[in-house]
Amino acid sequence: MSTPVGTPRLEAASERANRRRGLLLALPSYVYLIVLFAIPLVFVGVYSFASRSRTGKPELADWNLDAVAKLLDSTVLQIAWRSTWLALLNTVLCLLVAYPFAYYIATRRERVRNMLLLLVMIPFWTNFLVRTYAWRVLLDSDGLVTRLGEGLGLWGSMLFSAPAVFLGLLYGFLPFMVLPLYAAIERVDWSLVEAARDLYASGWKAFRRVTLPLTRPGIIAGSILVFIPSLGAYVTPDILGGAKTTLLGNYIVGQFLAARNWPVGSAVSMAILIVMLIATTVYFRSGGRTF
Amino acid sequence: MTTRRAAARSLPGGRRPLVQRVLALNAWAVYAFFYLPIFILMFFSFNAGRFVTIWEGFSLDWYRVMFANEPLMKALRTSVVVAIVSTIVATVLGTAAALALERYRRWLGKRTFDALLYLPVIIPDVTMAVMLLIFFATVDLNRGLNTIILSHVAFNISFVSIVVRARIAQMDATLEEAAADLYASRWQAFRRVTLPLIMPGVLGGALLAFTLSLDDVVITQFVQGPGTSTLPVFVFGLIKRQVTPEINAVSTLMLVASMVLVFGSLLLQRRR
Amino acid sequence: MTAIAVGIHSVTKRFDEVVAVDDVDLEISDGEFFSLLGPSGCGKTTTLRMVAGLEFPTEGRIDIFGEAMGLKPPNHRPVNTVFQSYALFPHMTVAENVGFGLAMRKVPATEITERVHDAIDLVRLTGMADRRPKQLSGGQQQRVALARALVNRPKVLLLDEPLGALDLKLRQAMQLELKDIQKEVGITFVYVTHDQEEALTMSDRIGVMNEGKLLQVGRSEEIYERPANRFVADFIGETNFLSGRVEESGVVRLAGGQLVRAVTHDPVGTEVTLTLRPEKIHLYLRAGDVAPGMNTLTGTVHRRLYYGDSLYYEIDFGFAHVDARVENAPRQQRFEPGHEVIAAFSAQSAEALAE
Repeated sequence: MSTPVGTPRLEAASERANRRRGLLLALPSYVYLIVLFAIPLVFVGVYSFASRSRTGKPELADWNLDAVAKLLDSTVLQIAWRSTWLALLNTVLCLLVAYPFAYYIATRRERVRNMLLLLVMIPFWTNFLVRTYAWRVLLDSDGLVTRLGEGLGLWGSMLFSAPAVFLGLLYGFLPFMVLPLYAAIERVDWSLVEAARDLYASGWKAFRRVTLPLTRPGIIAGSILVFIPSLGAYVTPDILGGAKTTLLGNYIVGQFLAARNWPVGSAVSMAILIVMLIATTVYFRSGGRTF
Repeated sequence: MTTRRAAARSLPGGRRPLVQRVLALNAWAVYAFFYLPIFILMFFSFNAGRFVTIWEGFSLDWYRVMFANEPLMKALRTSVVVAIVSTIVATVLGTAAALALERYRRWLGKRTFDALLYLPVIIPDVTMAVMLLIFFATVDLNRGLNTIILSHVAFNISFVSIVVRARIAQMDATLEEAAADLYASRWQAFRRVTLPLIMPGVLGGALLAFTLSLDDVVITQFVQGPGTSTLPVFVFGLIKRQVTPEINAVSTLMLVASMVLVFGSLLLQRRR
Repeated sequence: MTAIAVGIHSVTKRFDEVVAVDDVDLEISDGEFFSLLGPSGCGKTTTLRMVAGLEFPTEGRIDIFGEAMGLKPPNHRPVNTVFQSYALFPHMTVAENVGFGLAMRKVPATEITERVHDAIDLVRLTGMADRRPKQLSGGQQQRVALARALVNRPKVLLLDEPLGALDLKLRQAMQLELKDIQKEVGITFVYVTHDQEEALTMSDRIGVMNEGKLLQVGRSEEIYERPANRFVADFIGETNFLSGRVEESGVVRLAGGQLVRAVTHDPVGTEVTLTLRPEKIHLYLRAGDVAPGMNTLTGTVHRRLYYGDSLYYEIDFGFAHVDARVENAPRQQRFEPGHEVIAAFSAQSAEALAE
C-alpha cells in the first residue's frame, strides 16, 4: 500500500478556480456598472463642490460650497418641503387604498384571484407617461373630471395645481404599492390567523396582531417603491403641475437643462440620493427584501 | 384550497358581511380609478374633432396624422432600436451576473457587486439622469443614440439580474450536478440544462427591460443628442406644447403595445 | 484477489470549520454492493460526493480502479450517480434524460437509441420513453434516474438515498429490484442510506459512519452480531445495554452483581457495556425449562407491548430494565405484568463493548 498523498492544495485550487469563474461571469456587468454608475455617482458628488461657469459647464478648479449652501436657500427648502410632504402623503394614501385592495384580491378563490391580479398587472406595465397624460386630459378645463366637479358644484379645473399633481402621483404609483402588498398578503399562513381567533382574538385584533405584522415586509417594500420615485418625480409635476408646484425633480432638471447651473443641480441630486439611501437602509434593517 | 376557504370564515369579513362589502367596494373603486382614465384616453383617439374632451364623431384621422408625422415615426424607430439593443445587451450581462451571484461563492468583490447591482433599481430617475449627463459631458462623449443605449443598459442590467436571480434560486442546483455527473462540460451543462430551465426568467427579465426602455423619459431626455429623441421624450414634448387627439392615438398605440407585452409574459409563465 | 473499485485513503473534508468527513480509509471491491450507513449529517453523502467529483477532499486521496482522481471534474470520472432527489431534467422526456450522458459523450445516435431502449426495459419502464418526469410516479422517477446512470455503463454506480422518498411498500419492492439489477449488470454499487434495514438486506458489506468517522466495516451479520462499539450496536437494530466489568476473559460481572458469560475483547477490570438484542433473550417461568449452558437472569415483567407479529416484554432486573422480543407464534407462552420470569441468553449473543 502506498502512503496516501495529502491534497490540501488541490481543494484550494478547485475553490480558487470556482471563484475565478464567478468573477469572470460577473465581470462584464461589474465593469459596466462601475463605469456607467459608480463613477458617474462620484462625479455628481464632485460637481456639487464645483463652481458655475459662463458656458454652464462647471469649472473644476475653483472649489467651493456655494452649491451646497444653496440647499439651505429658502426657494430650495420650500420645494424640498413640498416634495417631501407630497411624497409622504402619496405613500400613506397609496398604502391606505392598496392594502384593503390587495387584501381583497389575495383572499379570493384562485381563479378569480389570478384574473384580478392580471387587471392590476396591466396598469403596472402600462407606460407611465401615457397614464399621466390621461389625467392631463381629464383635468383640463373642459375635461370630464372638471365638468363632473362643476356639475356637483364641488371643484373646478385642478390642472396645474397641487391637487392635480397629487392625483397624478397617486394614479402613477398605486400599482407599485399593490403588487408587493399582494405578494406579502398572499404568503400569509391563514392557520395563524385561525390560531389567533382560537385564542380569543376578535377579527380586528387578529388582523392587527397577526396579519399586519406578517405583511410588514410588503408594506415596507411598497412604501419604498412609492416614496422614492415620488420624491424624485419629474414627469407628473411637469405635465399636471404649474410654476407653484415645482418639485425637486423639476428643480433639478431645470438647473441642468434650463438654468445651466450644474453644481446646484448636482448638490440637490446628491441630497435626494442620501435621503434615498437612508430610507432603504432603514428598510433593509427592518428585515424585508426588495422583491 | 380548503385551508384558505376555511380560513376565510375567520377573517374579518367572513363573519361580518359589512367588512367584506367595504373591501369589495374599495376594490371596484380602485379598478375604476385604474381603467376609466385609460379608456377615456383611448376613446378620444377616435375623435373626429380636434379636441380631446369634446366628442365630435368617430374617425381614424388622428391615426393617419400620426403615421404621417415623420419626426414622430423617427422617434418611434429610435425607441424600438434603443429598446431592442439595450434589452439584448442587458439580458446577456444581467443573466451572467445573476449566475455569478446565485451559483458561485465567495468571489472577489461579490458583496460590493451585489450592492452596486441594487442601486440603479432604487435610485430616482432624475438622479440617475443627472449622473449620466455629467459623466458623458465630462468624458466628452458625443450625445446621441450611443449614449441613450449605454444609459438604458446601465439601468436594465439590474432589473434583468433581479428577475433571473429569482428564477435561478428556484432551480434545483443538483440538476447541474447531475448534468456534470453525466459527462456534460460546464458549457454543455449550461446550454442543455441551466439555460432551458431559467429561460422563463431570462425572457421575463428581457420583457421588463424592454418595457422600462420604452417607458423612460427622464434619463433619455438628459442623455439624448440633437435629433435622437425616443418616442416617450418626443410625446412628452408634444404634451407640453398642445394637446390633440394625435397624442391620444400615440398613447393608444403604446397602451396596446404594453398589453401585448403583459399577455406575452403571461403566456411565458404558463409554459413553466 | 478482486480489484479495488474505489479506494478512499485518509480522506478528510472540512467545510470551513466543520469536519464533515474525518480521516476515512476504505476500499470497495469490484462488483461489490457496498452501503455507507449512518444518521443524517454523518458524512456519508459527502463521502459519496467526493467519489463522484462533486466535492474535493481537503486531505487524502480518492482512487477509482487504481487511478488517482485528484481534481478530475465529475464529467471525467468513470462513475455515475443516482441522486436523492433523482435530479431528473424536467424539460426532457424519459428517453432524453436517459440518453443525456451518451449524447454528452458523443455516442452515435443509433447506438444511443438502442442503449436507451435497453436501459428503459431494464428498469421496466417500457412504453414510458416519451413521458416527462412530472407525469411519472415517485417510483417510476426513481427508475428513470437509475436507468439514466446505468445506461452509461459506469465502473461504479453511486446511489445517494435513492429510495428515501418512496413509501414503505414500494421501497421494499425496489430494494429487491435494485439488488437484482446490480447482480445482472455486475457493477460496483456504493449505496448511501440512513435506513439500517435497507443496508442489512441489500449489501455485501456495510460501512457505518457517525460524525464523519467510519466506525466499522463488515458484512451485515458482522455489523449486527458483532458491533464494534456502542454507537453501531445502538444504530443498527434494537438492543439493550447492560453495564458491567470484565471479571475474567469471557465473563462479565453486571452492575447487579450477577456473573454472565459474554464475548469480551478487553482486559480484566475494564468497564464494559453488554449489548443484548431483544430477540436473543428467551423467557421462561421455570428454571428447569432453560437449556443448559445459557446465562440466566431473574426479573419481573414490567410491561407488555403488542406488536402484532411479536410481543415485547419489558423485564425489570432491579439494576436495569431490558426489552425481550417474543415471536407471536402458536403455542407460545404469554407472560403477564407482575410475573416473575427467567431471562436466558447465550454467551455468543452478549457482546461486551468497552466504554
